[in-house]
Amino acid sequence: MLFPTITFAVFFLLVFVGSWLLMPRPGLWKPFMLGVSLLFYGWWEWRFVLLLALSAVVNQGFALLIERLGPGAGRKWALAAAVAANLGVLGWFKYYGFFVTSFVNFAAAFGFNADLPLLRVVLPIGISFLTFRVLSYVIDVYRGTLRTASLLDFAVYVTFFPYIAAGPIARAAEFLPQLAAPRDPRRLDTSRAFFLIFSGLVKKMLIADYLATHLVNGVFTTPGQYTSLETLLGIIGYSVQIFCDFSAYADIAIGISLLLGFELPENFNAPYTATSVQDFWRRWHMTLSRWLRDYLYIPLGGNRKGRLRTYLNLMVTMVLGGLWHGAGWPFVFWGFLYGGALIVEHRRVDARRERALSVSVGRERRAILAACDSLPGAAGATVAPVAPAIAYDKRPWHGGVWPRIGVFAFVSLAWVFFRSATFAAALDVLARLFQSWGSIGAAVTPGVLLAIAVGIGVQYVPRSIWERGQAGFSLVHPVLQGVVLAFGFVLLDVLGPTGPAAFIYFGF
Amino acid sequence: MAEPEREARPADGRRRRSAASVLVVILVAFVLGALLNAPAMKRTALELPYGGERSFRLALLNPLAAMSHWFFLDRPAKLTAAALDRPDPGPAGDDVVVVVTPSPRPPKKPHAGDANRPLPAPLKGHPMHLYIAGDSMMGLPGMALVNLSRKTRLIKPKLDYRISSGLCRPDFFNWPAQLQQQVKKFNPGAVALMFGANDNQALQTSSGDVYQFESDGWKKEYRRRVRDAILLLLDGGVRRVYWIGLPVMPGATYNRQVKVLNEIYRAEAATHPEVRYIDAYALLSTDGGAYTQYLRDADGDMQQVRETDGEHLTYAGGMRIADAVVHAIKQEWLARRSPAKGGSSREGSGGAKSTH
Repeated sequence: MLFPTITFAVFFLLVFVGSWLLMPRPGLWKPFMLGVSLLFYGWWEWRFVLLLALSAVVNQGFALLIERLGPGAGRKWALAAAVAANLGVLGWFKYYGFFVTSFVNFAAAFGFNADLPLLRVVLPIGISFLTFRVLSYVIDVYRGTLRTASLLDFAVYVTFFPYIAAGPIARAAEFLPQLAAPRDPRRLDTSRAFFLIFSGLVKKMLIADYLATHLVNGVFTTPGQYTSLETLLGIIGYSVQIFCDFSAYADIAIGISLLLGFELPENFNAPYTATSVQDFWRRWHMTLSRWLRDYLYIPLGGNRKGRLRTYLNLMVTMVLGGLWHGAGWPFVFWGFLYGGALIVEHRRVDARRERALSVSVGRERRAILAACDSLPGAAGATVAPVAPAIAYDKRPWHGGVWPRIGVFAFVSLAWVFFRSATFAAALDVLARLFQSWGSIGAAVTPGVLLAIAVGIGVQYVPRSIWERGQAGFSLVHPVLQGVVLAFGFVLLDVLGPTGPAAFIYFGF
Repeated sequence: MAEPEREARPADGRRRRSAASVLVVILVAFVLGALLNAPAMKRTALELPYGGERSFRLALLNPLAAMSHWFFLDRPAKLTAAALDRPDPGPAGDDVVVVVTPSPRPPKKPHAGDANRPLPAPLKGHPMHLYIAGDSMMGLPGMALVNLSRKTRLIKPKLDYRISSGLCRPDFFNWPAQLQQQVKKFNPGAVALMFGANDNQALQTSSGDVYQFESDGWKKEYRRRVRDAILLLLDGGVRRVYWIGLPVMPGATYNRQVKVLNEIYRAEAATHPEVRYIDAYALLSTDGGAYTQYLRDADGDMQQVRETDGEHLTYAGGMRIADAVVHAIKQEWLARRSPAKGGSSREGSGGAKSTH
């Protein structure tokens, strides 16, 4: 079931009424929410409802086992088994074909005929998000930062329909406490919810889908048909498209959850205003970034085991993050590019810190020696080293405008590999940037330029302006709010594409 | 929702509302939105396959659309669409959608002779125009065909695929009209077509009769539409039509339906000497004719040829079809190309110069 459809509108109306009627009785509300979430998911492929149910039961079993085992090796093994089981399921559905074909072709390169079974495996929507959600629960229970929930609560968390297909990756520790008590039906942040839902629909229908059909799809699949300027705009257009597409889903999911009384974490914060690649990942797919940080980068050692190990950890985290997005070598390379960029930025800051440290230490030492010399009878006395307070610029890049442009250019370049099916296809697109500057091209239209400008421009609008708009809308009478939304939906329908297109991140 | 309403305004400046208020907003937006948008909703219902769901939706939407029209509530959408040069949202009130599909002239005998006429040899300055059309199944194969044919530098391709379209439902997308228009506009020497993925549904004849898929009436009418499409192209000066059949499908029912459709395409193609049937079913199946997600390419590398939905083709899968089409084109159009760069008389097919 796609969000921008009549079917979903009817579904949500019924769920909204049912949810708030049953909310005072958690014993009824939870099975109801579980049921409607499974219906929502089963609308795509009912067979995978069983996968969700199985995931909830198995991971609850692991969590209970870990909690009961107490400290010791058994607990570690139980966690390892849980991680292996979840990654195994993800690997089967998402990476089976990738690994088997890679292995067969690798063996063939050395003259071996690896005759492995090549099965047809259908990818369940949102399986990567599901895997990270359930792992956050099991790992937090292992760490002792979260107590196990009831199976019903955990199942509601696993299947909650607003985020089931494409996030945000709400952690168990964020969601489960909200199930502890019924939500208050008298204090809903409705204007923020409606704003998020409507702006999500605008981003998806008027910008992302428009750019996809009018420029991006063509540039990335038949680059030879496009001029260099069109190709450049196609690459920038894809940066805008993927932001507007993915953040639209997150916005709508957060908005719908708010109407049901639940808070989900933010997933985007104007990512194309980032002044460094580190900053970009603090703003783009924020729930994934922090998941990778807390459940992968830090357990690998983070920055606690020396400089080289830090760089290695960064690279491993980003490459695995790339692979999480899709089964293909271009995704791995996409992660590699980010790993490399983060290492470069860390190196710059590290070098600056070392310089500041050496200057600071030298100054301290000179001051101490001078002080010692001035003391009568101080010769030969030992002085305990004191870590000096050092001040240095922690930003990888200086300035405001150029770092932003540079980061956006780097991110857009990386998206080329993310969007392309193969390396050859990505290189074809990049090569086209240098081959046909003789003309503008028919795909450079005012509509395309406007969509790109708006998609980037909205990220530079100060948050306070949006908040003031939401505050103003919240004061409008509910009937008038409904009228405004009705006209807004009509405008979307007139300006938007004929049929709803699936969100890009459904494939991940 | 039975709780007494207590609406407060916290520090963020946004006034909190009750669930009852939200329900009011949703209902107003829903009801008014439905009335304002009734023509578009009716259009969507009309485009559904003939059957129970379509009838049910239309039973609900016809009175809604009528009410919307009486109270002038359909005007904002229509006026906005007109002002912004967007397609009309949909039929107003009880309007019946009448789709006029162009008919070709009655088949004329010279077609047989045309097939034997030498094809004009494309040159770099005057490439043969190749128009590539179809439904979503033609997406990546079409793109592969564009890329591959461009590499010859003697073919100028144009890709035109429409998601969810086919020959069954001209009310959703009128392919005969589109083909006729593109023949005039693009002047193709050859056309590659791939239809049928959405044609496993009932169709309605011009007399109003509805035939269910696979019935005798359906087969007769569908074959007539295939024939009309071919004749429209040939009448417009197209010299070769490469009709691409549907590939093998993973589901048994859908695969059986695909075989029915392919049989029609193959049979009709056989009656026109200008039409070449490209057997995608064989190209995308195993040696035993079974469905597969993976095939080896010419270099022996294993490739995924179907998308994860199992039905649509990946770029690598599309490339197998593109290879077959370009191979067929090369055999007929490029094999006899004179290195002496030919003469100067322009033919009507794609602006290619003839060497004869």
